[in-house]
Amino acid sequence: MSPDSISALRLSLQVAVAATALNALVGIPIAYALARRRFWGKSLVDLLVTLPLILPPTVVGYYLIVLLGRRGLLGAPLYNATGWTVAFTWYAAVIAATVMALPLLVRTVRAAIDSVDRDLERAAYTLGRSELRTVLEVTLPLARNGILAGLVLAFARALGEFGATLMLAGNIPGRTATVPLSIYTAVQTGESGEALALVVVLTALSCVVLIAANRLGARTA
Amino acid sequence: MTSRLEVAIRKSLPGFTLDVEWSAGDGVAALFGPSGAGKTLTLQCLAGLVRPDAGRIVVDAQVLFDSVAGIDVPPQRRRVGYVFQGYALFPHLTVRGNVGFGLRDRGRVERRRREDEVLARLGLEAFAERYPRELSGGQRQRAALGRALATDPALLLLDEPLSALDLPLRQALRDELLGILAGWGIAAVLVTHDLTEAYQLGDRIVVYEEGRVIQAAPRAELLSQPSSRSVARIMGIRNLVQGVTLKATADRIQLRWRGQVLEAVNSPTRSYLPAPDRPLSFFIRPEYVRLIRKDRAGVDGAHHMNLMSGTVVREVDLGTSWTLFLRLDEPGTPAQGDYDLELEVPRLVYEILEIERDRHWQFSLHRGAIHVLPSA
Repeated sequence: MSPDSISALRLSLQVAVAATALNALVGIPIAYALARRRFWGKSLVDLLVTLPLILPPTVVGYYLIVLLGRRGLLGAPLYNATGWTVAFTWYAAVIAATVMALPLLVRTVRAAIDSVDRDLERAAYTLGRSELRTVLEVTLPLARNGILAGLVLAFARALGEFGATLMLAGNIPGRTATVPLSIYTAVQTGESGEALALVVVLTALSCVVLIAANRLGARTA
Repeated sequence: MTSRLEVAIRKSLPGFTLDVEWSAGDGVAALFGPSGAGKTLTLQCLAGLVRPDAGRIVVDAQVLFDSVAGIDVPPQRRRVGYVFQGYALFPHLTVRGNVGFGLRDRGRVERRRREDEVLARLGLEAFAERYPRELSGGQRQRAALGRALATDPALLLLDEPLSALDLPLRQALRDELLGILAGWGIAAVLVTHDLTEAYQLGDRIVVYEEGRVIQAAPRAELLSQPSSRSVARIMGIRNLVQGVTLKATADRIQLRWRGQVLEAVNSPTRSYLPAPDRPLSFFIRPEYVRLIRKDRAGVDGAHHMNLMSGTVVREVDLGTSWTLFLRLDEPGTPAQGDYDLELEVPRLVYEILEIERDRHWQFSLHRGAIHVLPSA
């Protein structure tokens, strides 16, 4: 493999790990809120979190540019204040992958939390536990397999992200060109050997991840 | 009765409104009524898991909820133990972990000591390191009780504690539960839809129907003096019929029913004086109907109160006893479909009297076996 391919592989893993961590940080609380809380705008949150699952990735990428681009709703104030923009950095690839993976994580974790008997949480309350402590000591441990399965799925999704990443992060070798983007470039420029190598590696990785997810799923059931 | 527990709750849900008020003293208060009557919702309000729209909850002079004063103590600080339907033991923790769950703020040594003490008192020492799925139904019940009692709550709530069990085990565990509650000397509120359970476990019975309390009384009073027809119906009371008042005094009521003049005892605690010629609901306990032997001469009205005669039209073999359905020798429509009275005779009596062959009988009713209800 060429140095570019190796750096693409390293970048992809880096992006997928970071996106998975962000998913855990953001997605688990969202999943808990959707499963257990009633709040204003709940169905809107549910809709927004699910949309990336069915929208074309380029559309999601477009929205991300509108939001975070140098002239975006959040991006412009940031750029004016700091002179820095997230677009075309590896952070952009992480954000794109996070958003695209979020529906998978939230839906899996929410289902797992839904399956935890609410009386267990109520019991914890009557035994003096706050809601947060109950989540940490009762709900999440009992939803563990579902959460792990969700994280594995999110990781796999983040690893294969293409469209939204291309829109927000571009395809800059060594900086934002993840494996799926590098495969596209390799095919376009006729480097079929490089393409094949990356395809094989990515397929193998995805298989490992899916097998892990299935095992976790089987244990949850 | 000094009230350890005062409950007034109003809570509206879509399609259901709970509006109850009752109180209880020491011992066990059994909330009894059909499913969906609001019993579990009441427990959840007591525990602070559901917030009532209005009302007031006081346990041992401590106000836990008062909508007017704006008091709503969170469940974490109510000192209320809750034994959930199906027990809700933490499946990822051992019995010891479950029992000690509420003791987190005590020191490690003190916590361990209390766990040991509770486990020993409930006979769970040998199962301390087991997980809930490895326990029998009875051990689970004890573990759930131990978890709730370990923190020394002021009040214990039990939601259908025996419904997860099959019948033979249920009876054994009912006795065990009774022993534990008595031994711990804790005030408890128990929810059940089983009258036998309510009767055996409750010192006081609160009867629920469709979100309302239709009677709250000491258990002895409830069976002999249901406050209304609907209480009697919910309690599955048989021979609930209607007659006409002839004369009412403080200790006797004379009534006419199916061409007979019957004499009943008026309620000793709350005498009820219906006006003459008004309809009157009453019930006759089937086990108190007395068949009169034909081989004994001299049947006279002095020895046999409320004497009547009739024919057995149907019968059901219950194993240890028989239920007989009798139609009186009176013209007109029978009081309960094709029969007037249901009565229960022990198997031995059924055989000695050869009821299988002999279908026509004279029988009498002691005036104490006729229970008059205060409202129609």
